Amino acid sequence: MPFLFLHRNLEAIEIGHNVLHGQYDSFDEIPQFHAKNFRWKAPVDETSWRQEHNAVHHVHTNVYEKDPDLNHGFLRVNSQVPHTKLHYFQVPIYLFLFYPFMLYNFNAQNLGIVDKFRAKYFPQGNKGYAVVDEALRLSKAEGQKRHKRAVRRVWAKEYVFFPLLALLSGFGAIKVFLANFLVDVMNSYWIALTIQATHFTEPLQPEDAIKNKGKWYVSQLDSSVNFKGNRWQSILWGHLNYQVEHHLFPDIPAHRYPDMAIDVRAVCKQYNLPYKCNDSWRAAIKKFVGAMWTYSFKNPAVPIKAAFLDKAAYIDKEAVNAK
Amino acid sequence: MLNKLSNQPLIRALAQLLSVVHPWLIKTLGRDRLEYFASNTVNELTQRIDPFIWTYDCKVKVIAIRQETADTKTFVLLPNQHFATPIAGQHIELTSIGPDHNANRCYTLSEVTPDTVSITVKLNPEGEVSPWLHYQAEVGMVFDSSLARGKFVHRDQSKVLFICAGSGITPAFSIINHLLNSSHKLAENNELSDTQVGLFYRTQTPENTIFCQRLAQLESAHKNVKVELSYSRLPVDVVTPSFIDQLVAAYPDIKQQHVYLCGPELFRNDVIQYLESVDFNLNNLDVEQFTLPGISNLQVGIDGQNNRSNLEGDVSVTLKAQNINFVIPAGDCDKTLLEAAEEQGIVMEHGCRSGMCGSCKTNLVSGEVSGHKIGRSIYPCTAYPASNHIVLE
Repeated sequence: MPFLFLHRNLEAIEIGHNVLHGQYDSFDEIPQFHAKNFRWKAPVDETSWRQEHNAVHHVHTNVYEKDPDLNHGFLRVNSQVPHTKLHYFQVPIYLFLFYPFMLYNFNAQNLGIVDKFRAKYFPQGNKGYAVVDEALRLSKAEGQKRHKRAVRRVWAKEYVFFPLLALLSGFGAIKVFLANFLVDVMNSYWIALTIQATHFTEPLQPEDAIKNKGKWYVSQLDSSVNFKGNRWQSILWGHLNYQVEHHLFPDIPAHRYPDMAIDVRAVCKQYNLPYKCNDSWRAAIKKFVGAMWTYSFKNPAVPIKAAFLDKAAYIDKEAVNAK
Repeated sequence: MLNKLSNQPLIRALAQLLSVVHPWLIKTLGRDRLEYFASNTVNELTQRIDPFIWTYDCKVKVIAIRQETADTKTFVLLPNQHFATPIAGQHIELTSIGPDHNANRCYTLSEVTPDTVSITVKLNPEGEVSPWLHYQAEVGMVFDSSLARGKFVHRDQSKVLFICAGSGITPAFSIINHLLNSSHKLAENNELSDTQVGLFYRTQTPENTIFCQRLAQLESAHKNVKVELSYSRLPVDVVTPSFIDQLVAAYPDIKQQHVYLCGPELFRNDVIQYLESVDFNLNNLDVEQFTLPGISNLQVGIDGQNNRSNLEGDVSVTLKAQNINFVIPAGDCDKTLLEAAEEQGIVMEHGCRSGMCGSCKTNLVSGEVSGHKIGRSIYPCTAYPASNHIVLE
């Protein structure tokens, strides 16, 4: 079991996510790890993921109404999102309904096949975080075809091929089936909590955040948060505990992030820029679930999270532009 | 261990079986579904079992060899799932062929069916690759191939005339066959297609005429096809008029036709000279030249950093993954590669347009760019052309 989980986890983030960012594209000797060749062992369609994640989420990270990567119907973790009744129940709904099958949700989101459902049932819920842009959306048939393909390859392997293999070789087919299912759920939780906890506690960014390079870098610094972990642990998080570095330089091989973090931190300190870091994964999750809980109420008595770019304290403009 | 495993009799038998059923596999599954299956099951072992299907490259396999004339052979090739259905008249580039497996050659597709393509190769005794193909290549061999490319294709003109010489018949033959097949389909649906097809074909002798019988069959089976043959090496005592006279006699309404011209350079020059002399509208002329941009004679810029504005002439850019070739006009060379491509109506994957998100990152295969690059990796959204031929992955 632990090894099965380790395998699923490594395939999904440390390998899958980072390869599909094109981090290893320039190594000729490993064509299997080029973004265009790689096939994920996760139920996510690679082409649309690259489009949505690399070209939209990584550009408009947490930008108001522009970032489709993280919201899955309705979620309120800041006061800019209008409150609806459903938000009272967002903590259990997300923790027990959405996160166990997070990878499937990502795929449906990227392919845009649940947009109509969402528009119907959560008309206000999408405010703040976007759905995939109209121009990028695939035709319905194409989206469903890709969804089927992405999901079926995983099911065929995990829930048909390996249980059958177990049956033929005299092991328990049901055990294998259940183990695969359990590991998938664990993996989804793991990934969901890693990435949501490193984005959602941070403020939404103003719409002109990508107006120039300086602003973009500042908005990336402001919309992500790291959490501490040693190098071995980082591999299990796909180095996404270095979310800040990942968002500044998404296409650099991920195992360099711990080294880069030292320099990034120094630069941030020098120019008085935000560089946020939680003490541990646990602390990050606690903060995130806390935020989910706080904002599930209509008018929480907490100070408004303002983007660094919006703050009145933002006077050091020249330093930013110089960077 | 993998070597040992792939040498097991059972695995070897499986490999044998697979190589026999390749045509059937591609026909029944189709390239799209085969791609889905293969790309999700590729690993070190499957790559050893069947490198034709479990591969990241476009490959073609010889499934039949036909002798056309004494010195011409047709090779029927079965492409794997990475190939895209070509348009009749296009060509492919075979790479790593020849006796030392280091030569690249372009061949026009002489026949295109849904699952296979054919190339027709004339033996050049002094050449390097054609003797190898003629004497060494056999059924079952696998070559690396490019996707089909080229703009020498039919574009819905209603009256077309192909003027060809020698092995220049190949694109004409595939286009004519394609036209007749599609008009056949139209006729079944009771739609009339009245494409008038003319072919003027100059060869040495009747024995040396490639596709001789099949051309005759085409002409007798279809009313809208007219084939005129002309020979350059008949016995001395036979008096023949010059081929231009023959052409004019056979197709007096040449000025109303759209002309496709393919053959050796001297032949082409003669025909173009004649067409100019009768005030033929050269917009109605397509010429296949067999010289390809971006493959040979790379003119590499001396200093990638500074010669952005000094770059002279147009820049040809090849996107290998998308199999697109386009030309950036000299005036557009101060634009980024991404902008220049979009100017030509070509969609390249991109995100932020300012070199930050890495969505557009690709590798430079040959040529030079200036601007945003790290080693071989370049960012088309913030990189500028710096040599006249650029090939990107």
